[in-house]
Amino acid sequence: MAIQGIDFANLSLMDALDLAILIEDEAQERYQDFAAQMEQHHTPEAAKFFTYMVENEAKHGRELLARRTQLFGDTPRQVKAAMIFDVEAPDFDEARAFMSAREAMAAALASEVKAHAFFESALPSIKDPDVRALFEELRIEEIEHQELVQLELAKLGKDNGVDGSAYEDEPAAQ
Amino acid sequence: MRKDLVFGMAGSGGDGIVSAGDSLLQAAAAEGYHGVMTKSFGSQIRGGESSCRVRIATEPILNPGGNLDVAVALNWEDFLKFGAELPVSGNTVVIYEAATGIKETEIPLVGVTPLQVIAVPIAAMAKETAGTERAKNTVVLGLIAGWFGIGAVAVMKGIRKKLAKKGEELVNANQRAFDAGRAFAMEHPLKTSMAVMPSETKGQVKLITDGNDMCAAAAIFAGCQFFGGYPITPSTEIMQFFTDHVWKYGGAVLQAEDEIAGIGAAVGASFAGKKSMTATSGPGLSLKSEMMGLASIAELPLVIVDVQRGGPSTGLPTKTEQSDLFAACFSAHGDVIRPVLAPTSVADTFRITIEAFNIAEYYQTPVIILSDQEIASRKETLDPIDTSQFKIINRQEPHGADLVDYKRFKQTDNHISPISHPGMLGGTYLASGIEHVESGAPTNSGSVHQRMNDKRTKKFDPLKDRKDLFEVLGNPDAPIAMIAWGSIAGVCREALAMAQAEGLNVKLLVPYLLYPVAEGVYNEFFTSVQKGLIIEQTHLAQTFKLLRMHIDLPKGVKSLARSGANPFLPGEIVAALHHLLSELQRSHEGQLQPQE
Amino acid sequence: MSATCEFQAKDYKSDLKPIWCPGCGDFSVVQGIYRALAAIGRPPHEIAFVSGIGCSSRIPGYTTAYGFNSVHGRSLPIAQGIKLANPDLLVLAAGGDGDGFSIGGGHIAHLIRRNVDITYIVMDNQIYGLTKGQLSPTSQKGRVTCTSRFGSLEEPVNPLLYVLAYGAGFVAQASPTDLAGMAAVIEEAIRYPGFAFVNIQSPCVTYGEEAQQIRGLKAISESLVSLGHNPADRLAAMDLAQHYGEKMHLGVFYRNPEPAPTYDALVRERQALLSKDALPKENILDLFIKK
Ligand SMILES: Cc1ncc(C[n+]2csc(CCOP(=O)(O)OP(=O)(O)O)c2C)c(N)n1
Ligand code: SF4
Ligand SMILES: [Mg+2]
Repeated sequence: MAIQGIDFANLSLMDALDLAILIEDEAQERYQDFAAQMEQHHTPEAAKFFTYMVENEAKHGRELLARRTQLFGDTPRQVKAAMIFDVEAPDFDEARAFMSAREAMAAALASEVKAHAFFESALPSIKDPDVRALFEELRIEEIEHQELVQLELAKLGKDNGVDGSAYEDEPAAQ
Repeated sequence: MRKDLVFGMAGSGGDGIVSAGDSLLQAAAAEGYHGVMTKSFGSQIRGGESSCRVRIATEPILNPGGNLDVAVALNWEDFLKFGAELPVSGNTVVIYEAATGIKETEIPLVGVTPLQVIAVPIAAMAKETAGTERAKNTVVLGLIAGWFGIGAVAVMKGIRKKLAKKGEELVNANQRAFDAGRAFAMEHPLKTSMAVMPSETKGQVKLITDGNDMCAAAAIFAGCQFFGGYPITPSTEIMQFFTDHVWKYGGAVLQAEDEIAGIGAAVGASFAGKKSMTATSGPGLSLKSEMMGLASIAELPLVIVDVQRGGPSTGLPTKTEQSDLFAACFSAHGDVIRPVLAPTSVADTFRITIEAFNIAEYYQTPVIILSDQEIASRKETLDPIDTSQFKIINRQEPHGADLVDYKRFKQTDNHISPISHPGMLGGTYLASGIEHVESGAPTNSGSVHQRMNDKRTKKFDPLKDRKDLFEVLGNPDAPIAMIAWGSIAGVCREALAMAQAEGLNVKLLVPYLLYPVAEGVYNEFFTSVQKGLIIEQTHLAQTFKLLRMHIDLPKGVKSLARSGANPFLPGEIVAALHHLLSELQRSHEGQLQPQE
Repeated sequence: MSATCEFQAKDYKSDLKPIWCPGCGDFSVVQGIYRALAAIGRPPHEIAFVSGIGCSSRIPGYTTAYGFNSVHGRSLPIAQGIKLANPDLLVLAAGGDGDGFSIGGGHIAHLIRRNVDITYIVMDNQIYGLTKGQLSPTSQKGRVTCTSRFGSLEEPVNPLLYVLAYGAGFVAQASPTDLAGMAAVIEEAIRYPGFAFVNIQSPCVTYGEEAQQIRGLKAISESLVSLGHNPADRLAAMDLAQHYGEKMHLGVFYRNPEPAPTYDALVRERQALLSKDALPKENILDLFIKK
């Protein structure tokens, strides 16, 4: 249940923009959480990548916010954070102790794919042409995001087969 | 005329011997006497043997006394079951039920010839006057009034009040039984009169209560607003008192599902900023130990009362013992100092309980009050206590600047950190059983652990200088000494007086603070000591060992220890002191230059 | 209540870094709690959050509330002491399945029958996480763990049925597969006047089984709303609760439509009723005068 209490058919442009902002916020927050988790667990490569994702999402969020402000000023937001869940954010359990940068990227890639699927599936029910245009734009952006992650993956070079499961993954018992 | 009389009475459960003791004590108090009453029961839930001891004196008394002056046996089988608890000597007047059919010369007491033995047809008199044998205890009270001059008026006044609701006829029946007893006594005077002198304080107000009620009342006085516990003999009355009263002071009481939940709720209430308490006895103390450790490391004030009974396990649930000392000092794992205090009487239970709260609050620590079955359940008459002389200490809370970047476990000069509680703006922190840094955040750093252990133990240093938590009686320079705590201290106080009367140069140290061991106080006490006894009711000599663990005891200081339910008598302690003196003299004679 | 200014989820997040394994379901639970608390809007210093011991029991430290990370299995006794000492506080208790249903299992029935106004959140991962993967009381029969090499021989407890049978006034289940739903359920539990229980299926990524990870949970999850369940119907709730372990029903199983008075409220009533009988404290010993 990624979305709750939203009627796409009658979504206004302001609400659509706010929704997009919330989706970016959520993803940003999740990546932040992941980055912190990885740092805490001495997995700097994955942490670094998640931090990169935080910046990406933040940048995107800022752009959307600027547009929203230009169009609608500070008219109070109608949609709530509680209405969305894990649209662009990876599942909570995607993070893993000692995950490699490759695994981190794979998780992010999967989320971008998930986000793309979300916009794609929402599109048919949208009536408002402006909202439609926005969602179409966002959908395409998700593809761009995927490409960005792919690029990072390519930078890693060939997979040496080492991933998190190669490490003993044991918390200290108490 | 006598200034002090010890009555011991035994019968079957239905004989009402304990309620007779109650009536006698109340009558004595009404007549201005000082009194102490203890009860003792067999193991049956109902209808087993029961006994009581009532000591009445014109001067304040500190224990239930030694040998009986007056023994009352409604039947011998029951009386004998109490053995050492009701010791008869050559100075005892023995009164017993004639219907037992035993001749006055053949009573089943081995090795003693009482002062006088009187068979009284108690049951027959009850039946004849009141129409029921149930009134036997009233006949006994009449006998006592007749022979010993206590309660001639006050006893019936009390009974009248007690039975008022039950109707005039019952009151009259009791009056007739009482009169018959008294008349019997008048017609058969004792060979040596044993009537008690009238009290000079007749007409003054006296309180009557037991150690448990006193402890609970003191707790409420000290500001305790929460009690969580689970019933266990002989501590339950503390919870019952709270149930009756604490609501009135805005507090609450919880009868929890077990001891762990009881102390858990008390820990929670303390965390929430309220003074709180739990009470239990041996088996419950074992269950509470993990939570006590939690309160120690989380530095939460809490008072735990342990009313000792015979252990281990269920042990002797209705008898007194001092064998929880080690458990009180050392249970719960880890490096922990947890103050342990012990009252020695009902009267000083008031002060000690307040001290326990003050120490708990000031040092932010759990404190154990080590009471015992005897103090908890015995009734004492007391002169009114001036409560205004007691200072109440409350935990130090953070204010103003403390609450900017508040650190709950901040290192301070005295190692005590101001403590906030939920609801206090700026004071949020994490309380935890896990080791923590000053802010409260968990850590597993060895150096922090070392520092925090230091903080949590050093903070108690000033407590060891609290000389007011010790009492030295007798000549401070005496070469012969006793140390005793809890109810046994009362017996030793009496032994001290007896020994002094016999010309012995003795002193007695009564510690109210048992742990941490105040080395300085003991060392000072021992400077003059060449021979001594540490007297306690434990099989393993726990007090002796606890002191030896902390102090180089003088060579001549020995242990006098025995298991619970085997009371010490002042006389036997005096005999032991005489023995020490003769040892001392012998060793002096062996020296060329006798010591001063 | 002094909820004057608005609070946001981040206002309840502390600076402590969770020790949890990356990916642990408990990360979602703490998020859900932040959100629920923000929705309720009580300032952090008016909240007391108690836990036992376990991975999950670290949770109070990750909030800005007054936290108490106590001893294994005893969050509920401590929480009720806090609530009785100061009924104005919002009191939360939380812990793991071992903490709640094994060592601390005896306390639940009593908190429920007393109806102390506390919200109790169990992070149910069907395993002992902190002690490295032993059998827990909610582990499935046959489950292989380091203390059940050849498979567990025991039936698991059914926490939902258990608390419903004890008579809890509010019983719900949530999971990280639906964070918004989790937050909503926790919020509702907190608002419920009385003992409220929320079981959260919170996967242990380190010792949990594949089927209990988020993907697996998604496959068996079903919202109670979508089933048309009426939360006022206790028997229907019990019926649905039977599926614990096979299906994961999310949402409110039962909410007593007529909440019973809470223990803390009754305590207050009693205090008010009896306060007029109080002797001044300095005269308390007058109780022992026998006239
Ligand atoms: C009295 C006591 N017994 C045992 C332990 C060890 N112990 C710590 S946590 C735990 C179980 C943890 O499982 P659970 O409660 O399910 O929490 P999780 O770690 O899974 O979140 C145990 C047995 C303890 N701390 N205290
Ligand atoms: S062991 Fe399991 S429950 Fe514990 S932190 Fe790791 S994932 Fe979470
Ligand atoms: Mg668990």
